[in-house]
Amino acid sequence: MWRLTLRNAVAHPARLALTLLAVALGIMFVTGTLVLTDTSGRALDAQFRTAAAGTDLTVRRATAFDDAMGVEVERDPLPAATLERVRAVPGVADAQPAARGQALLTAGGRTLVPSGASLLRSWTPEPFNAFAVRTGRPPLTGDEVVLDAATAREYHVALGDTVTVQAASTAALRVVGLAWFGDRPGLPDTTVALVTLPAAQRLLGLGDGVPEIAVAVAEGATVAQVRQRLAERLGADAEVVTGQDVAAASASAAKGQVGYLRAMLLALAGAALLVGGFLIANTFAVVVGQRTRELAVLRAAGATGRQLLGSVLGEAALVGAAASAAGIGLGVAAAAGLRALAGQVGVPLPDGDLVLLPRTVAAAAVIGVLITVAAAVAPARRAARIAPVEAMREAATGPAANRARALGGAVVTLAGAAALGVVLAGRGSLGLLGAGALVTVGGLTLLGPAIAPVLARIAGRPLDLAGVPGRLARQTAARAPRRTAATAMALALGLALIGFMAVVGTSVRSAIRQSYGETITADYVIESSRNEMLGGLPPDVQHHVAALDEVAVASRLRYGHWKDGTMTSALTAVDPATLPRVTSLHLVAGRLDALAGGGVILAERVARERGLSVGDTLPMTFARTGEQRLPVAGLLRDADAQALSTDYIIGLDTYARLYAENVDASVFVRLADGADPAAARRAIEAALAGTPTAQLRDQAEAVAGRTRGVDEILGVTTALLLFTVAIALLGITNTLALSIVERTREIGLLRAVGMSRTQLRWMVRGEAVLVAVLAVVIGVALGLGFGAGAVTALGSTTPLAVEVPFGRLALIVAVATVAGLVAGLLPARRATRLDVLDAISRA
Amino acid sequence: MQPDLAAQAQNLVKIYGRGDTAVRALDGASVAITAGSFTAVMGPSGSGKSTLMHALAGLDTVDSGRVLLGGTDLTALDERRRTLLRRERLGFVFQGFNLIPALSAAENIGLPLALAGRPVERAWFDELVATLGLADRLHHRPAELSGGQQQRVAVARALIARPDIVFADEPTGNLDSRSGEALLAFLGHAARDLGQTIVMVTHDPRAAAHADRVVFLADGRVVDELGEPTADAVLSRMTRLDAPARAGR
Repeated sequence: MWRLTLRNAVAHPARLALTLLAVALGIMFVTGTLVLTDTSGRALDAQFRTAAAGTDLTVRRATAFDDAMGVEVERDPLPAATLERVRAVPGVADAQPAARGQALLTAGGRTLVPSGASLLRSWTPEPFNAFAVRTGRPPLTGDEVVLDAATAREYHVALGDTVTVQAASTAALRVVGLAWFGDRPGLPDTTVALVTLPAAQRLLGLGDGVPEIAVAVAEGATVAQVRQRLAERLGADAEVVTGQDVAAASASAAKGQVGYLRAMLLALAGAALLVGGFLIANTFAVVVGQRTRELAVLRAAGATGRQLLGSVLGEAALVGAAASAAGIGLGVAAAAGLRALAGQVGVPLPDGDLVLLPRTVAAAAVIGVLITVAAAVAPARRAARIAPVEAMREAATGPAANRARALGGAVVTLAGAAALGVVLAGRGSLGLLGAGALVTVGGLTLLGPAIAPVLARIAGRPLDLAGVPGRLARQTAARAPRRTAATAMALALGLALIGFMAVVGTSVRSAIRQSYGETITADYVIESSRNEMLGGLPPDVQHHVAALDEVAVASRLRYGHWKDGTMTSALTAVDPATLPRVTSLHLVAGRLDALAGGGVILAERVARERGLSVGDTLPMTFARTGEQRLPVAGLLRDADAQALSTDYIIGLDTYARLYAENVDASVFVRLADGADPAAARRAIEAALAGTPTAQLRDQAEAVAGRTRGVDEILGVTTALLLFTVAIALLGITNTLALSIVERTREIGLLRAVGMSRTQLRWMVRGEAVLVAVLAVVIGVALGLGFGAGAVTALGSTTPLAVEVPFGRLALIVAVATVAGLVAGLLPARRATRLDVLDAISRA
Repeated sequence: MQPDLAAQAQNLVKIYGRGDTAVRALDGASVAITAGSFTAVMGPSGSGKSTLMHALAGLDTVDSGRVLLGGTDLTALDERRRTLLRRERLGFVFQGFNLIPALSAAENIGLPLALAGRPVERAWFDELVATLGLADRLHHRPAELSGGQQQRVAVARALIARPDIVFADEPTGNLDSRSGEALLAFLGHAARDLGQTIVMVTHDPRAAAHADRVVFLADGRVVDELGEPTADAVLSRMTRLDAPARAGR
């Protein structure tokens, strides 16, 4: 029996090839995701281990928490005297002060803006420095700098050149050396400038304070002992951590984003595999149908039903194993492509030797085989039920729709639709919607064979205009309801997901645009072109702009993080005096100017969730200043809070008390009455000339900046979902190609009585297009319905209204229909190549 | 070519395979089909009778020789032109699987005209349907028809476009003897009363007896023919034909 299984798989490579490809593509997705994220994780580990190498202990200012949203918090510097106290502790072999921060480099008149950080560090001698100077020498005086070799090469900076380093203050420094980081010429997407400690203190505005002290433990003492002694000696203000802990904490913070990315990619891989599953089930159903006689002969020769079941499942397992192997290979290759895609959504991942863990191989292999075998179970059971007498019968086109199955499907589908109805009526949650979506898809899968012929006959009407080939295409699709339904359903799923993303994305985008337009009345917004975590606008931007004659008001906004229990939240600090002149905020309770007393304004929804009203206090934990209880000064309308992208607002004076950061997130500008907009824009741009990362945006540009994130995510998920659509299209190609084989005699007859090759081609293509159109109808309906449901459910907590992306949906319809045509090309060619004589003489 | 010839095959040679395994399916076969005649082609299996019919009908190409259909040299036409010629000027009835399962009986009958984009001649359609006793089966699918009914639908389809020649390949092979007799009787009627030229390949002497003339093939060549055949006469010729063919192997 096993030999027969093997022979079958090997003897018909073509009919299983596309199935194999579909599974392999899904597995490629899974493997690629795991390889990419493992590689990034390991690279991040190595990077932070290198950074901490040689430093046994680090002394720094204690904070309430170490990092927020993947970024380390800023700490106050230690007093200068701490260094001597550290050095005096027994067991400390060496202790060196270190300063680090962000500083923008300008070389050759060009500002270097990497997609990662712009690091400024004080140079510390061995063994503490993770950077080693390989060319030139370390910085000795305050006007010297060492750059990482990768940055120097990329931007053509040579020893002896002068670069401008811009942090709290700006200085022109001479490049005296080029450094490597461990065995790499630099850090990914990052510029590094190493200067003397006094230069770093001056540039970062630290005075004589020292942000941290690196400690090497003497021989004969243990790290734990010395740590204990240092902690006792320095008191609660200072924190003593091991180099290993710092490395691990930094790495895990940086890996948080990688985790989100992994979850998203694996979800999309799941969709691809689900679509692949439909395709597998379909292929095996057709294959079993074609082999009915052969299987019946086997039954007549004494094979048991169980043996046939095992044979078909064995064939599936073989296909699954082969596909997994191919998918794993492809996945390793695809990891690099996924990395580029992740960069597109703003998750830059470090490069490194590809990591293929045994876990990845095992997961991919198990998933690939399980999915293939599971999808083949139903066809295999059908094979096992074939009676020996069927060997003598004409091959049938396959069983018609099963009444019980159709009834069950209808009930289940209606249940899913009812869930959607409840959500659309505003009475359901996202959870109910998700369950409804699963139930509906399951129901439609059951119902498919019953409704496919009806849908095909209706949707295929226009095909009749194309004469006999069109009519035959429609009839053939209707005559094989299971095949048509399963093929269409696979494509429909992919299209439904794309439609869903389009509806949700478009609705979110339009909500952002609308609330921004209604709330922000500023003529211009100045924002940093970089991620806010990498430094915003220097404070003098606001000074320069406010001083212009053309400008009436320049109101600054700052961002900060705070700890809300175990969660990290963001807040916005505003100037209550000038904000009303650049925004139109509606407070449902309290007053904006009450912020000046140290209070906090909450978004109405947050206040409701927390049960807070004006006069209550909100406990908030800040990194530098620990827990503070802020009085609630007012409640802001949700739409306005969304426009400011914040749920918590404090005054700038409160911010100055709680945070050390001295950068603005954005500056809202209102022009003076009667100022010429064009002249004003030129004047503001001139004032920004010294800050290359500052960008002046009018309202449309600011909205575009805010919706860009939505667009990017929409774009990337759509691109990845197109991948599932491609798999589903393979399904159409495969199913049609198989059905051509099944219909050899019919096609031979048509050719004999005068169907031309062109007509035959259009008949096959027509069937492919019809299947695609069915998928479009089901897919768009599902995507639209559940997208609207999701928006409605989300809209109960945030201001969001359903917006139907007609343009995008029309594009989906057009693309899917054309793709259906393309999917039919190969089977159509195959049909025309059939030998007419051979076809008709096969009696 | 004489004006009363519907088709003519001249020195057809058709070789399958090459080298040692080459088979000369047709080896200088020549035959002339008179317009309005009912010709049966007979021969032992492997004699080339099906190949001859396929060549005459433009379903297959030949390696040398000419096939003239009316004034047209089929061997000079490309595949597309041969397809167009088939649907305009030829009709076919095969042994089994004659009908498109997705189409009703009426649609199957009209298929060649529909493919050519020509209208159905109503009176001719009605006459065919009435003569073949299909009037009450027109809206049924092939699966709902008996074997005899299916073959009658196939005959109606072959005749609907008033073709120059109808080719029938073992049309009664899958039928019981009563249905077979009825079908052959109708083919005879079509030739004699309606002037339809018919070429039928068969191995059944009783079927051949319905024809005006029987052409015997052996080893890819026309070796004999018989006018006004009877089943017994055909059978005795066949027996003679079989003996030397067997002895020669």
